[in-house]
This record gives sequence, structure tokens and C-alpha cells, in this order.
Amino acid sequence: MKIKKILVANRGEIALRVLKTAKEMGIKIVTVFAEDDRNLPHALYADESYSLGTGTLADTYLNKNKLIDIAKKTGADAIHPGYGFLSENAEFSAMVEKAGIIFIGPTAESITLMGDKIGSKNALQKINVPMIPGYHGNDQEVATLAQKAKEIGFPVLIKASAGGGGKGMRIVYQESELIEAISGAKSEALKAFSNDKVLVEKYVVNPRHIEVQLMSDTHDNHLHFFERECSIQRRYQKIVEETPAPNLSQELRLKICETAVQISSGINYRGAGTVEFILAPDGHFYFLEMNTRLQVEHPVTEMVTGHDLVKYQIMVAQGDKLPVKQADIKQTGQAIECRIYAEDPDNDFMPSIGKIDRIGTPTLRDVRLDCGFLDGTEVGVNYDPMLAKLVVWGENRSIAISKTIHSLDEVLFLGVKTNRDYLKRILSHKEFVAGHTHTHFIPDYKADLLPRELDSQDLADLIGALSFSDKKRKTSGTAAALRNPWTELTGFRN
Amino acid sequence: MEKIFTINGQEVKVQDYKHTGDSVSFTLNGKAHYYMLIARDGQELILDNGGRFKAAVGTPSRDGESMIMANGREAIGAMAPKKMKKAGAHAGGLTSPMPGKIFKILKEVGSEVKKGEAVLILEAMKMEHSIRSDKDGVVTKIHYKLGELVQGGVTLAEVSS
Repeated sequence: MKIKKILVANRGEIALRVLKTAKEMGIKIVTVFAEDDRNLPHALYADESYSLGTGTLADTYLNKNKLIDIAKKTGADAIHPGYGFLSENAEFSAMVEKAGIIFIGPTAESITLMGDKIGSKNALQKINVPMIPGYHGNDQEVATLAQKAKEIGFPVLIKASAGGGGKGMRIVYQESELIEAISGAKSEALKAFSNDKVLVEKYVVNPRHIEVQLMSDTHDNHLHFFERECSIQRRYQKIVEETPAPNLSQELRLKICETAVQISSGINYRGAGTVEFILAPDGHFYFLEMNTRLQVEHPVTEMVTGHDLVKYQIMVAQGDKLPVKQADIKQTGQAIECRIYAEDPDNDFMPSIGKIDRIGTPTLRDVRLDCGFLDGTEVGVNYDPMLAKLVVWGENRSIAISKTIHSLDEVLFLGVKTNRDYLKRILSHKEFVAGHTHTHFIPDYKADLLPRELDSQDLADLIGALSFSDKKRKTSGTAAALRNPWTELTGFRN
Repeated sequence: MEKIFTINGQEVKVQDYKHTGDSVSFTLNGKAHYYMLIARDGQELILDNGGRFKAAVGTPSRDGESMIMANGREAIGAMAPKKMKKAGAHAGGLTSPMPGKIFKILKEVGSEVKKGEAVLILEAMKMEHSIRSDKDGVVTKIHYKLGELVQGGVTLAEVSS
């Protein structure tokens, strides 16, 4: 069956991302929007778009019945969940399929299996996937957990079984901190996920976060699209991702990728998925988790392999065979993604809000800005502070870094405090340039990543700019002629 | 002419400030500066001070300050001396560190609080931020109701010792 119309159950840049591929495939797109998103491009550019009303997320983007109703009314034959929101909600996946609509994603069984950190580890241990030493048992007595932690050896990590995003997580370096950390993690887990089950694991010092992009069809083809290096994280959230991972031997790269495929084929997976691994400095790698959806950072993989992952998701969902073989998938050059957030990195990453006066357009070759906003739209308090993803491809890593730094200056997001300058500091850091990435990069180099003080020349430049902000000021004849070259070129740009 | 600017909350004084048509000149810290406006596209500017660079000035916020970008640097500023902040001036006032929504009120008016104890929780971008008392005392005022949206830098509650 060919999919003719897709409802995207998401917002912002990922809704637009799905829209782009659908347009290439001649598929109609239905989008949905909460009232406070009414002016954002995902609510404007689709073939049809419907309001989800006002209220909390549960009333809007997480309202399963409302979404399925809209899909039925509009005659959509498939639902794409994007990432976040309902993308890893097994109940939603099952409800969609029960309503006779295709869910563009894995089966409810796969989502359930991988959503349970303990259950997934137990299942994968049986197919010899390397696991970090730890205790994932059902005996959740504090005394038992403490005993297991001592057996594993410090430092240990205590984290919520149902968790994510760093909630219900504690690192314990010595026995004296243990009991308090277990209780703390448990109560945080209970609050965040209504489940206080925690697991205890060996804590790897200076680990790297390496993940593998997978794609499986329903004809027993389980492919990988190589790895991504996602070690640069703040508050357990990725902000810079790249592929290929620097300083990784070809042998280890293939071993990691093949292990990931062992998982997708082992659980008979369907669609796009990502297996995350922890890579220790000694070359040992351990399964961390599997995300049963398209990842935020999927574009870097698309840039170096030349394959459209959303297209393959749609093809798999309609029952097609993947049109490529493993041997056809190759990495060419280097791609880097920077997540541009509305936040102040120099004030504890506090979120910021405001009206975006001007976004700006990247001008270099092979640069992609996946952005869910338009000039003049507002960044509010209700959603994730990610404004856009700047994705840059270069023939090699050093070219990709230079291009990214230049492009970060071109996407202004004038009007809202962003982390652009902070991203430039990371990409210019000598350890990043050398490819020495690990998950503690940001805390370890905190001092190096502080903003450079404005010097006298910077202040003069800023005052110079501010002097010309007054639009009522009359300009002289000569400059008036030069005044607006871009406007005159509009015909060419469109 | 002397002119006072505010950049990132600091007053910056310049001398011999002259702004005629598309050029501006001034002296900052004893050094003469000259900028020419080469082109403008709305809020984006091309300036020349011997070399050309891009700049942009955002729409001013309610307190008159704009986001300024010039030559790859970014700041918040205004073509005026520093304003005294009104909000947060109350003694014992607990201010919002950022815009958000009142997510939880943990202490009602009249409740005793200890220094460091959370009085209310502000929610922004799906994250919760505890607003803590800066002293031992009694909550005397809570300025907002549950679920209300608040700006950054406003007084949310007051505690007196």
C-alpha cells in the first residue's frame, strides 16, 4: 500500500523535516498545532493544518484521541510521530494501528521493550550484547542496592529504570554517600516517572557517547548507517553531534555498528532506531539504550551517507523493501550538528524567551538549518528551548569545523539570547579540534568555555552598531542608494 | 559631546560623539573610532571602520535595551545611561530568574521559611526552578497565583525576618 497522506503528530523543525521529504515523495501532509503555535511555520506550510486547542501538552500534542480523530477526519493513512512527544509511546502506536492507520515507527512491542531499561538489558544480554556491569534486579530494597553497588565497585551510577534526561540519576564516588544517593534517586524517579525502580551500574570515567543509526524493513533487512559521536552534552542533553566519530579506529567503528545491527535483527526491529553505546577509553563499549524513533541529530548521518532517513521510514511503513544494501552505505566527509537553544550558557543555561526579529540564512555550501521558527515569531515558555539545528558538511573535519563557526555567525536569532557564541567556543576549543571528546567535556573545560570579556574594540563596534539602530534617522544621498541591496535581490533568492 | 551607553549592564562613556548621516565617530578610552554605514537590510547592517563587518540591532525590549551583534560579538545595550531596576527592589523580595509560569506555591502567606527553603516553583521550558528564600523568616506576600505567567526579574514573593 502506498501512503498518500501523513499526519505529523509533532511541532517545530521536526514537523517541517517530515514535510520536506513527504513533498519529495508526492505525499500530502497534515500538521497540527497548539494555539500558541498558530504562527509557527509547521502550522502554515502543510497541505492542511488543524488546531489542537489550548491547555497543557496533555490537551494538545500529547492528546492521543484528538490526533487520531484528526487523522481519520482528514483521511490520513499514516501518522509520523517525530521525536519526543508520542514517538516512543507504545500505547499510541497500538491505538494508531488499531484505528487502521499506519504508525511510522516500530511496533508497540519494540517500543515497550526498549522503553524499559531493565527489561531491554535482560533481553539483550541473551544475544550477547556487551552490558556495563550492574544490577538491574527487582529487589529494590535500599540495603540490597547498596550491597550491589559495593560489589560493582565505585564509582557507581544510580538511575531510574524508566528514566531519561538525567532525572533520577546519581553518581556515587564513595560508600558514605551511597544510602542518601539511592533514596534521592528513588524519590526523584517516583516523582518524574511514577515509578521508583532504579538500577545500579559501574560508572565509566571519561566515557564517549557513540550511537549507531539503524534502519530495518519488514523483509528482514537490518541495516546500519554508521555511528554518531554525541559526547558534547550539557545537563545530559546533547548540543554538538558529529559523524564520523573522530579518533575511532575503523575496526572498532565496524564492531560497534555490527553490534547495533545484532540488536535490531535480534529483536526483529522495524523502521528507524538508534542504539546508544558508552565507549570507555580502553576501547570497551557497552549498550546504553535504544531509541525507537528518529533522533534529533539524524541529519548528520544524512549528510555523510547521502541517504534520506525519513524517506526510508515512510517506505518501510508502507511495506517496501529498503532500496539499499549495507555495502552501498558509505561515509563521505564530515558532518557536524549544533543545537541552537534559546538559553544563556553563561547563566547556568537558563532558558530565554522573546520575539525573534531575524533568524538569518546560512550561505555556505552544504549547510542546512532545520528550524521551526520564522522572523517575527515568538519563543515562549511552554516548549523545549531548541530553536534550530545547524548541520554542516565538509570534506574533512577541519573544514566542517570552520564552516560551522562561520555559519553560527550567519544565523543570528536576533532578539533572543541563544547559545551560539558558546557553541563557537566549544568548536574552537583545542581539545574539540583534536577530536578529544567525552561526555564531561563541558564541565571539565568550564573555565576555557567562559565568554571572552568585551574589550575596548568590541565595545566600540557595538556602540557603532547601536548608533545606526535608529531607523528614523535620515541617511545621506549616497548611502541611501546602497541602502537595501538584499531587497532588490529578492527575485533572485526566491 | 559626551554620550553614555549601557552595554551588558555597564555604563560606557564616549567622548566627541558625532553622528552625521551615515557615519559616526567617537573616542573611547582615549582611542578615536569611526564607523560608516555601508548598507542596511532592516535590522542587519554592514559597517566599515577600515574593514567591513556585519552587525545587527534588535527591537528594544520594554526597558529600552536591544540585542546588539557586531563583528561576531553579542551584547545587550541601549543608547542611554543605566536604568535603576524597579523590580526586586523590595527588601526580602524573591525575584524570578527568568520568564515562566507559577508551577507550585509551596509556602502560603504567613508560613515560616528557613533560608534556602523553596517558597515556590517556577516552570519554564518543561524545567522546574525552585525559588528559595534568602533568609529565615515569614512569607508576607505572594504576588502571583498558581498557573500565572510571569516575566523575568519580577518580584514573586516577599519574606520578612
